[in-house]
Amino acid sequence: MERKELGLVFFPAFDWAISQTHPERQERLLYTRDQLLEEGVLDLPQIREYRPGMAEWADLERVHIGVPGLESLVKDAHRVAAGGAIEAGKAVCSGETARAFALVRPPGHHAMRVVHGTRGFCTVNMEAIMIEHLRRHHGIGRVAIVDTDVHHGDGTQDIYYHDPDTLFISFHQDGRTLYPGSGFVEEQGGPAAFGTTFNIPLPVGTGDAGLHRVLDELVLPVLADFKPDLIINSAGQDNHYSDPLANMSVTAQGYGRLAEKLRADVAVLEGGYSIEGALPYVNLGILLAMAGLDYSRVIEPDRERCPAQSADVTAYIEKLIQERRQTWRERENLKRREIARWGDEWQRRRSVYYDDSGIEEEQRETARLCHHCYGWQGIDTSSRGSFGRKSAYAAIIPRNACKRCLQEAQDAVWSAKQAGRHQYYYIQNRQTDCLERIGGKK
Amino acid sequence: MLLGIDVGGTFTDAVAVADGRVLETVKVPTTHDDLLVGILAALDHIVSRCPRQISRVALSTTWVTNAVVEGKLDPVELLVMAGPGLNLSGLLPVTPRFLTGYVDHRGIQVQAPDDGELQQRIPKTADSVYAVSGKFSVRNPDAEQQLNAWLKEHRQAEHVTLGGKLSGSLNFLRRTNGAYFNAAVWRRFKDFEAAINQALAARDIIAPLVILKADGGTMPLTAAGEMPVEAIFTGPAASVMGIQALTDCRGTMVSLDVGGTTTDLALWQDGQPLLAAGGAFVERYPTAVRAFQLLSVGVGGDSEVRLAGEEVVVGPLRRGPAMANGGTVPTLSDAMIVLEEASFGSRKLAEAAMDQLALPGLTVREKAETVLQAAARQVVVAIRQMLLREETKPVYRVAEITQPVILDLQGVIGVGGAAAPIAKRAAALLGAACVLPEHGEVANAIGAAVSRPTLEINLRADTVAGRYSVGELGLEAALPVGVRTVAAVTDFAKQLLCQRATELKMEQGESEVVSLESFPVVKGFNRSGWIYQCRMQLTPGVLMRLEEA
Ligand SMILES: [Zn+2]
Ligand SMILES: [Zn+2]
Repeated sequence: MERKELGLVFFPAFDWAISQTHPERQERLLYTRDQLLEEGVLDLPQIREYRPGMAEWADLERVHIGVPGLESLVKDAHRVAAGGAIEAGKAVCSGETARAFALVRPPGHHAMRVVHGTRGFCTVNMEAIMIEHLRRHHGIGRVAIVDTDVHHGDGTQDIYYHDPDTLFISFHQDGRTLYPGSGFVEEQGGPAAFGTTFNIPLPVGTGDAGLHRVLDELVLPVLADFKPDLIINSAGQDNHYSDPLANMSVTAQGYGRLAEKLRADVAVLEGGYSIEGALPYVNLGILLAMAGLDYSRVIEPDRERCPAQSADVTAYIEKLIQERRQTWRERENLKRREIARWGDEWQRRRSVYYDDSGIEEEQRETARLCHHCYGWQGIDTSSRGSFGRKSAYAAIIPRNACKRCLQEAQDAVWSAKQAGRHQYYYIQNRQTDCLERIGGKK
Repeated sequence: MLLGIDVGGTFTDAVAVADGRVLETVKVPTTHDDLLVGILAALDHIVSRCPRQISRVALSTTWVTNAVVEGKLDPVELLVMAGPGLNLSGLLPVTPRFLTGYVDHRGIQVQAPDDGELQQRIPKTADSVYAVSGKFSVRNPDAEQQLNAWLKEHRQAEHVTLGGKLSGSLNFLRRTNGAYFNAAVWRRFKDFEAAINQALAARDIIAPLVILKADGGTMPLTAAGEMPVEAIFTGPAASVMGIQALTDCRGTMVSLDVGGTTTDLALWQDGQPLLAAGGAFVERYPTAVRAFQLLSVGVGGDSEVRLAGEEVVVGPLRRGPAMANGGTVPTLSDAMIVLEEASFGSRKLAEAAMDQLALPGLTVREKAETVLQAAARQVVVAIRQMLLREETKPVYRVAEITQPVILDLQGVIGVGGAAAPIAKRAAALLGAACVLPEHGEVANAIGAAVSRPTLEINLRADTVAGRYSVGELGLEAALPVGVRTVAAVTDFAKQLLCQRATELKMEQGESEVVSLESFPVVKGFNRSGWIYQCRMQLTPGVLMRLEEA
């Protein structure tokens, strides 16, 4: 079969909504569908369309630990969106297409490793599910994720916080002014993976100019240093000037040029809720750019409404770029210092709020530092919601776990079980690719 | 009595049918210099044998296909209002003029055509044939219509094809290509139309003349005069319609029309042949011309048979006729003749053809069987591919993924000169039934004779804006009071369709909803209305089924 430039998984889930008036509703990709059909792009010889499959539960559990289980939290729509991302990844890994775009919904980049419910419209993480599927079945090693959604991809960051093989770069509207309120420069990964979480919080009003400075001077050089096997773009479109949920000034041209420069292997749609004014144009621009076609004529009818980027914003971004470049250059030193600071075990406590489900979660997370492997992590989690309380203890065993870490992680779960302070106990063993449920009461 | 005439590459076939029976058939050579000569010869033959009242003459002709393939196309000024989006340069059959003016996806005219620009940019050429296409013109036809009026007034345009009139479906690229080809064959087809009208009048035939379209439906000759491109690829379409008249094809079926060099496959579900998504490809350009979904395999009676290593390969090349008929290389027909599944030419030469295949240890008959099995296997690969493509076509709803349609092939239908030996073996390989309708050899002409008219409209109703549009009808207007629910929208679409059918003087049959979508529209945090998209058509099919004799 002849290799195509772009594989497209277009799945607008026209029969699914979080709720009738929620931004994640049937209508979200309707106007995008109309634009793509009208342009005739699906008939172009550069593009091959793929149908998503249903992601297997094993694909989901390779990434997530649902409390009490994913079955009660995950709908068919989530499995199809994840299946769409996997299909896109497979098209690229099999060599059928040079690149792929999973234009699917619902999104997933706010979904963390432990799942108690839905937050930021996300229940499971599409990119992580795809990446881990490709690692397991297609021999992919190093991966870089570039999250270009206006919101910080806190879910993806959480999943890869201790994985030095996965570089997570996110630029987003500063967490001090936007959901989910994270993604600061200080968040750089656990000691074993220090530096492979790389946040670029941008000021309100950032436009095409600022975004492309960040891309040219920060994102692309960092990617070049990291040398990933695969670049994944979490392609949120809410940096657009017309987006109702954020305050940036990026245009369809800005997004098209971003896609052209980034040359992501796989892009997966994340957010973007200006469904009439932005999505038809931004999606088309990204799609054309990824297919190597001319996107220069993709211009919103109301582009004169896009505010110019202010001089203050430009100056702020310049300074931010300098600081971030500096940090990146010194990453090896900083990592050594971080390892020295924590000794055997890193730990943190935090609260996670599930806005769509009204759930509050408290987490205590530990990461074992080990010279022989990436170390295992323990997560002590409890949540409160309409269901009352749920709590669980989970250990995560890395792909390359050494004997000692494997034993320690298992011991930790068994002793937690004996202490009996939780309802559910899990071992997510990435070596055997299985999620074990240990005892646990119903 | 219904008359059907099918102009094929080699023969022009005609049939007369009435009361579910074939009254008369004739085959005359196709007259390539002037198709009309052969058409009239066939017509005269039938009329002289069946002196009954003719209620309809239906013509399926390669006229348009030939004009395109032979490049007999008039120069066309292609005017495009593309608005923002894909750069069409290099994607269209001719270099278009890009003009100001566009409509957005909601049907709002963001920019109107500019008279000053038109004066300046559209030359006063001798070509008075134009094709005009605007993005989202199916949501708002104003810009295309303004340009049409301007061309008629200021450039004395003889003909303007509007993309939006060709199809009410979204796909600007396909409508633009289709509009171009339509304009390019318009003038010559007009001449053909005049000639045939004259010839019928000379014979005192007053029955309406209809032309077969690529989607197997008919349209009145006058309508064809305005949209001749729809009469492209009618050969395979006629054959498909013939199958529908001759067989009762329930469930999932595949039909094989085995010709001299190719086998055309069509896929059937519940008695209906499936249409190609988006429309037909003309040359290498996707168009919005409604057409059946066909797959052509290079296996036919005249296909060369050769060995690739130990394996027998049939086609895709033709190197002259069967050896039985004086050809120089073994062909599929030679194998059929050896096994007495075809009877023409010299049997001795056919045996010699099979004998020269280096298949050690096999008798001549065994060699012939090996050849037919190989041909059937090649066809089966294509059938499987067609089924798979249908099963995995893109879908947009979760339920279509969780409950996918699995096609369970029930039968293989064979029509055309050399169909039976291939269809029989392919069906056996697939574990399906084999159906070989009688009169299969003139299925094309029968199909033309009995096809119903087809007509489709695409209604989009937006209750928030209180507007609706129907591309095919060039309509964009206020949504009538009361049209706010799925049921009311469906009724409204049906009413518009029937009106249109009456205007076109089409035989009225049933109408049906092809697809219906409804989307709740939310503004702020409240439901503010609905967007409905309803595709409605006259139920395609045949005016009568022919009984098994
Ligand atoms: Zn977002
Ligand atoms: Zn270890």
